Amino acid sequence: MPIRPDILEAQTRAWTAIGHPGGWWAGAERVAIAAETRHAASCALCAARAKALSPSMVGGDHATLGSLPGAAIEAIHRIRTDSGRLGENWFRRLLTDGLDEEHYVELVSVVAITVAIDTFRSAVGLDALPLPVVHAGTPERRRPVGIRHNLAWVGTLAPEDVGPDDPDLYLTRRDPSLRSGANIQRALSLVPPAMMQWWDMLEIMYMPGPWMRDFTREYRAVSHAQIEMLAARVSALNLCIY
Amino acid sequence: MDGVMDGASDTGVLHASELLAFAEAVVAFDTPLISRTRDALLDAMGEDAMVDAAAVIAGFNGITRIADATGIPLEDTKAEQSANWRNTLGIDRFAATKS
Repeated sequence: MPIRPDILEAQTRAWTAIGHPGGWWAGAERVAIAAETRHAASCALCAARAKALSPSMVGGDHATLGSLPGAAIEAIHRIRTDSGRLGENWFRRLLTDGLDEEHYVELVSVVAITVAIDTFRSAVGLDALPLPVVHAGTPERRRPVGIRHNLAWVGTLAPEDVGPDDPDLYLTRRDPSLRSGANIQRALSLVPPAMMQWWDMLEIMYMPGPWMRDFTREYRAVSHAQIEMLAARVSALNLCIY
Repeated sequence: MDGVMDGASDTGVLHASELLAFAEAVVAFDTPLISRTRDALLDAMGEDAMVDAAAVIAGFNGITRIADATGIPLEDTKAEQSANWRNTLGIDRFAATKS
């Protein structure tokens, strides 16, 4: 079955990047996050919590592959299996348990990339990709100077606060109309490489901003109306307000 | 709009029933159901549309997790514009489930 080459290329880039050192996690750790994301789908604790009126009603231990800290395991499993019921208290407990926000944001990016690619391949009838090859190296560990805590649970970098030493995560140096800096685009901006790896892939799978706003033309084999209906339905199924 | 919430009501969108059935199967990772609904969608819309639909579904299966895991709020303008139908569809009740 023919699959749009740009989709496969974009997913290959994002998947390969998981094996490389990121902003805060080493390559081996990032691959472990991807592996744990897959593993979470078969976790009995997560399954029980998802059915419960409240996840806090169900105690126990996650079924884990065991190579990451406990707070990271809890984050991965909850984001993978019950993200619609995540609250700020839960996030704050992760910080208390030793997972700082920089590692957390990058973890969210890896989980999302893994879920998106696995979902796509499952949908079109392809086998899941093998885990990425691990590359040695040291994470960058650079926190942008312009980070503010005025929007979300995590710090974010607004387009107007991007500094000369920051990557061009909103693509303003290329074309300011490409990424508007909407809240959803700022969500991962605490770790610019994590944000860019996600959005570079998503814009190929969904649409870049200018296409999304251009209703004079259909850019995909599904119409704007069909796309937005699908987006809304998936959001409803995942209990996502945004 | 009810069709977005319940997956069954008429949405007025062409091939909505095939697309929504496919989306639900995919999000559930229900392999046999994915296969059946994918075939139905292929019959209705063809390969290119099925692939693009799969890409949108998959992308939003990821991005909803980013939104919910980081606590980013809906922009004020979007909240105002969507207040009526969010109320109608009961979307705001999702907030009551968070902890």
